[in-house]
Amino acid sequence: MTTVDTPVTAATAATATRAPSTLALLGAEVRDELKQVYREPAALFFSVLMPVAFFAFFSAMFGGETAGVGGLPVGTTMLATFGAYGVLGATMLTPGIGLAEERERGWLDVVKVSPVPVPLTLLAKVVATLPYCVGILGAMTATAAALGVLRIGVGQWLLLLAALLVGSLPFALIGLAVGARASGNATTAVLNAFVIPMAIAGGLWFPLEMLPGWMGSVAQFLPTYHLSRLALGPLEGGAATGSIGHAAYLLGFAVVAGAVAAVAYRRPAR
Amino acid sequence: MHPSLDAVGVTFRFAGADAPALDDVSLRVDPGEYVALLGPNGAGKTTLIGMVTGLRVPDRGTVRVCGGDPTSARTRLRLGAVLQDTAFPRHLTVRELVEGAAVRSGVPRGRAAGVLEEVGLDDLARRRSGKLSGGQRRRLQLARALVADPALLVLDEPTEGLDAAARRDFWRNLTARRDAGMAVLLTTHIVEEAGAVADRVSVIAGGRVVADESPASLTGRLADRTVSVRTALPAAVVRDLPGVLRVEETAGRLVVVTTSPEAVVRRVLHDDPTAHDLRVEAASLEEAVMAATDRMSA
Repeated sequence: MTTVDTPVTAATAATATRAPSTLALLGAEVRDELKQVYREPAALFFSVLMPVAFFAFFSAMFGGETAGVGGLPVGTTMLATFGAYGVLGATMLTPGIGLAEERERGWLDVVKVSPVPVPLTLLAKVVATLPYCVGILGAMTATAAALGVLRIGVGQWLLLLAALLVGSLPFALIGLAVGARASGNATTAVLNAFVIPMAIAGGLWFPLEMLPGWMGSVAQFLPTYHLSRLALGPLEGGAATGSIGHAAYLLGFAVVAGAVAAVAYRRPAR
Repeated sequence: MHPSLDAVGVTFRFAGADAPALDDVSLRVDPGEYVALLGPNGAGKTTLIGMVTGLRVPDRGTVRVCGGDPTSARTRLRLGAVLQDTAFPRHLTVRELVEGAAVRSGVPRGRAAGVLEEVGLDDLARRRSGKLSGGQRRRLQLARALVADPALLVLDEPTEGLDAAARRDFWRNLTARRDAGMAVLLTTHIVEEAGAVADRVSVIAGGRVVADESPASLTGRLADRTVSVRTALPAAVVRDLPGVLRVEETAGRLVVVTTSPEAVVRRVLHDDPTAHDLRVEAASLEEAVMAATDRMSA
């Protein structure tokens, strides 16, 4: 360590600093989150490659059948269901585990004493997963095209992406709620234990018709089911009126998940 | 002008605890003033630091930093902190972390380079934080705290893990900012270090402030002296002398803490004319702090 005559002025310490705008703070937070994401390539394996590999596997087996919505190839409708699986995994696991690890390592306390409001930091964690989500859906789309089972217009694809991104909000909040209380390892375990059963029971991996009847009844109450139905809306074209109901369900679930996350975060660690 | 820190009647009890961690604690730090918060483990120092940095909210009383609520983001623009046990996001570089702190505080990103040089991390600017040593991480924390020229800098055990030379440089860097009006509130286990840099020491014990004065004033109030002598005499010879508070016997040396050093010296030289290497020293700041906390528990 050296000692340097730094141009410190009484004015800088004694006068109020101009607060940066919320957008500037969010930009700085998102930039740092993205740098961390892309400097940890191992995370890409679980978040992107796994769901895409599942999609490729099932598309290769069933993708050519024309039993999808509106007579579309199953491989195209699976963009919505497997896309939902991939997006919910990324948006729930990445921010939740990140929050838990930062809390464990003491970094969250550093954030709390900084001028950045903590909700902005949490929002940045969710926003930083968006490139993952685009990557997941993009890779699945490329796979479907390669397998010759892709029948979707650009507008539909963009609507599908938007539905998945908006619909994944409650899952991100669940991830943050768990990450606000549990350790990093426990958060990983808890969220994985949530994702896979919810994906299967919500009909993201297999059509509900292939599952036992009682699971179909249960699925109506699961947010994963409503996420996949919301995502299928753009593919159904004119038959998309049900999307409002699914969106409303997800919005309600987001309110509940947000309240739980807020309580989990604010409850003092005594 | 507001004080840099004004804590008044702060009381806080952890859930389920019998006694409050902080009990009616008041503490004021003025611009340019360096105040050391001292006391035994569990005295409430880190809890009070939590209040000052907005990490905790008092059950009763108020804490104001530069006149503002430390839980508000705007007030935290004026606050820098070096906390205990902090690990950085390991994939971000030293420069990115300091520039990030600058941007978030509304100061130009370019200020980071000067601060990195100031704390001696300019050569490591491109290194990821996950590859820093403990001492380097401490300096990085300091750089992040200093980059926005805070009005109040809170340091919780800032030199833990630093060697003697690094500790000296750490304090030298901070002393340069005193004239700029930056106030410092620090905790440390190295009491003599606090005495060297602090204008005032505030001693906390059992959640209460038991002393709040300059280091010289605190040690001056203590009548204790330490008599240290190399002798073959057993400790029992002096233990019952008037004024003797404590006697330690180690490797042929007696160390006696007493309010009446003359009586000890006379007795030792009378009973052992071969006694040598005799020293009588005034109380250290550490002893003064211990005495203050002992008075509290007595």
